[in-house]
Amino acid sequence: MSKDYKDNMPISRQKFIEELRRYEKGSVSRRHFLGVTGLGFATAVMAGAVPGLRPSKAYAGNLGDKVVLATWPNYHDEANFEAFTKATGVNVQVNVFGSNEEMLAKLQAGGSGWDVFVPTNYTITTYVGENLIEPLDLKQIPNYEASAFDPRFAEPGTVNGKVYAVPKDWGTTGYVVNTKHTKGKKLTTWKEFWDITKTDFSGRTMVHDYQLTTIGNALKYFGYSFNSVDPKELADAEKLLLEVKPHLFAINSDYQPSLRSGDAWMSMCWTGDGKQLNSDMPEMEYVIGKEGGEIWSDFYAMPKGAPHSAAGYALINFLLDPAVNAKEVLAHGYPVGDSRTNALLPKELLEDPILYPAKELLDTLEFGAAATLTDPNRAELLARFKSA
Amino acid sequence: MQAKWINRLLLMPATVWLLVMLVLPLIFVIVFSFGERAPAGGYIPAFSFEQYANLPARFTAFKNTLTLAPLGTLAALLIAYPLAYYLAVKANPKWKTLLLVMVIVPFWTSILIRTYAWIYILGGRGIPHLLEFIGIDGVRLINTPFAVLVGIIYGYLPLMVFPIYVSLEKLDKRLLEASADLGSPPLRTFRQVTLPLSIPGVATGCMLVFILLMGEFLIPALLGGGKVFFIGNALVDLFLQSRNWAYGSAVAATLVIIMLVTVTLYMKLVARVGEQREDVSIL
Amino acid sequence: MTRPNDIEFTNVTKRFGDVVAVDNVSLSVERGAFFSFLGPSGCGKTTSLRMIAGFDQPTEGDVKLSGQSVVGVPPYKRPVNMVFQHYALFPHFNVGDNIGYGLRQRTPQPAKADIDRQVSEMLELVRLSGYENRRIWELSGGQQQRVALARALINHPTVLLLDEPLAALDRKLRREMQIELQTLQREVGITFILVTHDQEEALSMSDTICIMHDGQIVQTGSPTALYDDPVNRYVADFVGKSNFFEGKVVEADDHGAHIETASGRAFAGRNPRNAISLKNGSSAVLAVRPEIIFIASPKTGAPSNADVEAPAVIRNRIFLGEQTEYLVEAEGLGEVLVRAPKHAETQTGGFNPGDQVLIGWQSAAALALEDA
Ligand SMILES: Nc1ncnc2c1ncn2[C@@H]1O[C@H](COP(=O)(O)OP(=O)(O)OP(=O)(O)O)[C@@H](O)[C@H]1O
Ligand SMILES: [Mg+2]
Repeated sequence: MSKDYKDNMPISRQKFIEELRRYEKGSVSRRHFLGVTGLGFATAVMAGAVPGLRPSKAYAGNLGDKVVLATWPNYHDEANFEAFTKATGVNVQVNVFGSNEEMLAKLQAGGSGWDVFVPTNYTITTYVGENLIEPLDLKQIPNYEASAFDPRFAEPGTVNGKVYAVPKDWGTTGYVVNTKHTKGKKLTTWKEFWDITKTDFSGRTMVHDYQLTTIGNALKYFGYSFNSVDPKELADAEKLLLEVKPHLFAINSDYQPSLRSGDAWMSMCWTGDGKQLNSDMPEMEYVIGKEGGEIWSDFYAMPKGAPHSAAGYALINFLLDPAVNAKEVLAHGYPVGDSRTNALLPKELLEDPILYPAKELLDTLEFGAAATLTDPNRAELLARFKSA
Repeated sequence: MQAKWINRLLLMPATVWLLVMLVLPLIFVIVFSFGERAPAGGYIPAFSFEQYANLPARFTAFKNTLTLAPLGTLAALLIAYPLAYYLAVKANPKWKTLLLVMVIVPFWTSILIRTYAWIYILGGRGIPHLLEFIGIDGVRLINTPFAVLVGIIYGYLPLMVFPIYVSLEKLDKRLLEASADLGSPPLRTFRQVTLPLSIPGVATGCMLVFILLMGEFLIPALLGGGKVFFIGNALVDLFLQSRNWAYGSAVAATLVIIMLVTVTLYMKLVARVGEQREDVSIL
Repeated sequence: MTRPNDIEFTNVTKRFGDVVAVDNVSLSVERGAFFSFLGPSGCGKTTSLRMIAGFDQPTEGDVKLSGQSVVGVPPYKRPVNMVFQHYALFPHFNVGDNIGYGLRQRTPQPAKADIDRQVSEMLELVRLSGYENRRIWELSGGQQQRVALARALINHPTVLLLDEPLAALDRKLRREMQIELQTLQREVGITFILVTHDQEEALSMSDTICIMHDGQIVQTGSPTALYDDPVNRYVADFVGKSNFFEGKVVEADDHGAHIETASGRAFAGRNPRNAISLKNGSSAVLAVRPEIIFIASPKTGAPSNADVEAPAVIRNRIFLGEQTEYLVEAEGLGEVLVRAPKHAETQTGGFNPGDQVLIGWQSAAALALEDA
């Protein structure tokens, strides 16, 4: 994000973004990190106004003084939570998680105490099937205007005609490469990703510690579906992974620090991280493999028996307010499918090829499938890969 | 009669704690280990040995753990012993407290933060960068088994140093003079007097480090770049990623059994060594 | 007949930082002697012993063993062995292995049977036959002490060092062990160097006693020599009991001096042997041992040979069995301690507190000493 557009913004926040960048560079609590440590409970209570501050009209009624949100690291604008507390008297308690699997594990174990959480598209049918989430009462979320949302990123929230989740933002999973080391060669495919790892980039590549993307992108080497659970296709992917493993720098979803320090030259990467790296180090190029890969969409949903459901609804509604949501985007760097929010965002951001890849690239991407998430063979494959 | 009640009262908190925190979870683990994974993850009650039959799928992880735990213990011992010896025997009493505090101070920070610091020390901007100044290029330390070993030694050193320090500290220094007086040079005195009398500390330290290493997952994940895979890591993945509770329980139960067997054998061995040395104070 | 010296100190000084533990000490110990260092706590006894053993090295001066300088020679290369204050027995070895330890350090190591034989000989010597397999903590204090002795003797050292070996034992056992140690020394015939702050122990066991004060030697001599001819007040006070009357020398010659006390009365006393004569006008003390003082009722009067007399009142009486000790308040002398032997008591029938008595002594038995 360049400095030029600051004047066009609905609110002046350039300083805030700089702060955010600093925070993220020094941050240790990233997805993989939390995943491997099992410490997905890094909890922060958003201190704010004392409960009992006069609530604004929009939130009249008794919301209590607390709401619990389970989400991803560095995925919100903290100023928004403070504003919410000011407006409603409700403090936001944030629980940060490392993976969808971990969130699912916690909800399956019961007694999570969450009011709102942020699942990814392919998990929602599983939550519904497992009877873990409630359909949303859209009357309590007036800021969710279905027609304003790109259906592509909203549809997975609807199961059997009922809306269980409303869209937060979306993104892609490609890879980021340090072009200083490519000797002028431009990488465009997953095949190149895996091949260069075995040769020039030996010891410099990182893959996610995460079966969905690591196996999915290995499947792409052969042109198979990202979501394949076909044993023969998985066997091919496994062969490739085992062959590549000795050449990997790390199996770790916390790739920013290693890429920034120069230890690693290439890594599987999500939109927001690609954007952040590229802004700070222009030689970091975000690539979406021509063969395809993952596109995903994150949602707000509410678990069954949420203890503070009224406050939960109020929070979702607040965050979906286009003005608020725009601030969110500037903080996390992922695109949203809400045209009202986009109208408030600077043009440069809306034209950014990392956030909004070219149509022909986007068209090849696949949403993760529910079956992929729960497939035991893929889980075992990853275990074999990691222990090899 | 009264004494009995007092005894029971005194033991009550520990008993409750053990029951709730150790026995109960262990029973759950054993029950779960005979069950099956639900299609979407989790657990379905069943009675099958399928999970145990499937244990070979984690053979490498077991093998890695059973190699690392003894090696890491040995490496920690080899570094901790001289340090403890220095602190207890050689260090100037004036500095002793300060030096001891310096051994403990790292414990005041979370192991997470400390291990993370090692990522930077061993990473490209750390030691390898310094080595470049003296003309040694291309050294890679981070995400290697070596880095894991460094992290383990660093993380577990105090646990090893302290028991050994205590046993060396309470060793009567006049025994060393007596040995020298009877014609034994320093090295032999060390072998015949110092070492045998510090065996209780060595045994305690080794036991602590070994048991904790058997379940270690953080250091290999962070300093081994996820490429070094131990049972601890397998368990984290089984419960938090694939949510295969049944299989995860079987792996955990197996780990507990292996640990019990090794620790029992080890205690027997140490007790035997102690008996040979005619010292009842061991363990 | 002079025997060769086993130990020789030549101007030995030992400093620990600012502390001078041993200050310019020269001494020699004859082979086969029973030699004691005697002195109050902190006077440098242990330090002297440790320099012989090799645990400490002298800061200045020379230490010789059998005529050879041993400065810089580590303890394990010296032909001396030590019995430590608290024995320092190895807790991880049984009695037999403790005693055999010294033999096992030799190269080449003697055969096991040989070691066992010598160990049982040693146990016999210290009267603990059959105790080989006992654990250290199963032994009484006296038994531990004997094991420590056996352990130190098995290597047949030329010198045995003993640092307060009996301090931890009760009085009766200590007496027994004192006799045993003396017997043992005669049996093995080697030099014993004993450190003690117990004057009785030193007096009863040693051939030669070295009295130390603040790191320096005050006097060396046989127990009788020290008792009869202490060079100064410090020694007289340390060896046996004595009454001291302070004053100024009013008249002195090569044989003795007259000392005038604060009361204005002058007393005569002889010079101890080997001591330098006192100077006129210098401050000095008259030392009178309690057992040379007579005590009589005024009716009976003083014995004919007494040349000092003073009326006194009994303040206190302590019955000690063989003798009785009186504390009396004497005219012009202040408090005086008097010891009357049992036979004298039978004659006089004894005195009680408050009784008027007469005390006195023979001037030839009193000592005129430097007040140091
Ligand atoms: N290692 C040492 N460091 C510093 N000072 C010491 C050391 N050893 C002895 N000293 C000092 O030297 C002096 C003589 O000590 P030493 O142990 O020889 O006395 P000692 O006559 O044996 O007394 P005790 O009867 O109490 O055992 C003391 O003032 C003591 O504090
Ligand atoms: Mg002493």
